[in-house]
Amino acid sequence: MSNVLRPYLAAVRSTLTAALTLENFSSQVVERHNKPEVEAAGSKEVLLNPLIISRNENERVLIEPSINSIRLSIKIKQADEIERILCHKFTRFMMQRAESFIVLRRKPVPGYDISFLITNTHSETMLKHKIVDFIIQFMEEVDREISEMKLSLNARARIVAESYLTAIST
Amino acid sequence: MDGAFRKIDIDAFDEDVLQESELYEADSRDPAQVLEEVKARQTSVRSYLAKNDVPGALTAILENAPYGPNVEDAKTISLQTLLTILNSTKSTEIPNVLKALSMDSQDTLMKYLYKGMAMSGWADSNASVLLSWHEKLTEIAGTGCIVRTMTDRRTV
Repeated sequence: MSNVLRPYLAAVRSTLTAALTLENFSSQVVERHNKPEVEAAGSKEVLLNPLIISRNENERVLIEPSINSIRLSIKIKQADEIERILCHKFTRFMMQRAESFIVLRRKPVPGYDISFLITNTHSETMLKHKIVDFIIQFMEEVDREISEMKLSLNARARIVAESYLTAIST
Repeated sequence: MDGAFRKIDIDAFDEDVLQESELYEADSRDPAQVLEEVKARQTSVRSYLAKNDVPGALTAILENAPYGPNVEDAKTISLQTLLTILNSTKSTEIPNVLKALSMDSQDTLMKYLYKGMAMSGWADSNASVLLSWHEKLTEIAGTGCIVRTMTDRRTV
């Protein structure tokens, strides 16, 4: 892990660990309903202060805690047009398969690229530190993945252009 | 048929619905008075910094920090003052400075760190400083400090 990224990920890790103190909490409005309060936003007392951790203008994480669920949204670094397209395709690909990721939200929160919704059921059935590890690993890898895709896209474009133009030149 | 009335949140009109003001005790000070105090503190922080007394400067700014509605100006000024302190501290000194703070000051500092990161437009120049302070503060005050930041309704 690079030295620049480490304090950022450490901050996300400690904040996420602090936020992942969830308990079972049924709806205060409808009897026998149990919904993630951060999504329902039915009452103020069960929502905690949202926290933002930012590395720079284009990379930040929003953590919205509540009594029985937290929502974590990531804004992924997008330096140019190609990265923007790749990032969009990549997150879309995963969000269409959200049920196999379990904690992934099908739509990102406005202003962010990808969102996770962790409820008390998740933190009870899975190990808490493993969930944190998963999110951190995801954040580490998504940047690498996108820059790799960008490189291979450029290489492929070069080869295509070369073979196309040799066909014309002869 | 107009169905707009079905979208009305009738629970908001319940007589025992929870109001924002009931979540925390309001600041008894007048907004103008708070602003005065913050400005006075800004000058005292400068004199502390001139004497190279970082813990003293931090304690001065973190005590009785402005919170609640109607004091946006005072909040911005204290954040700016705090950032000048944070930026002028050497990274090797940070742990000792943090250990000298009281628990309440540590919590308030954590709130300001998150607020600093949340301010868009400011983040570029300060993010790395804030992140390194955040890391050191978490090492010293623990995750409990972050939990108190999340649960305390008196947002700075």
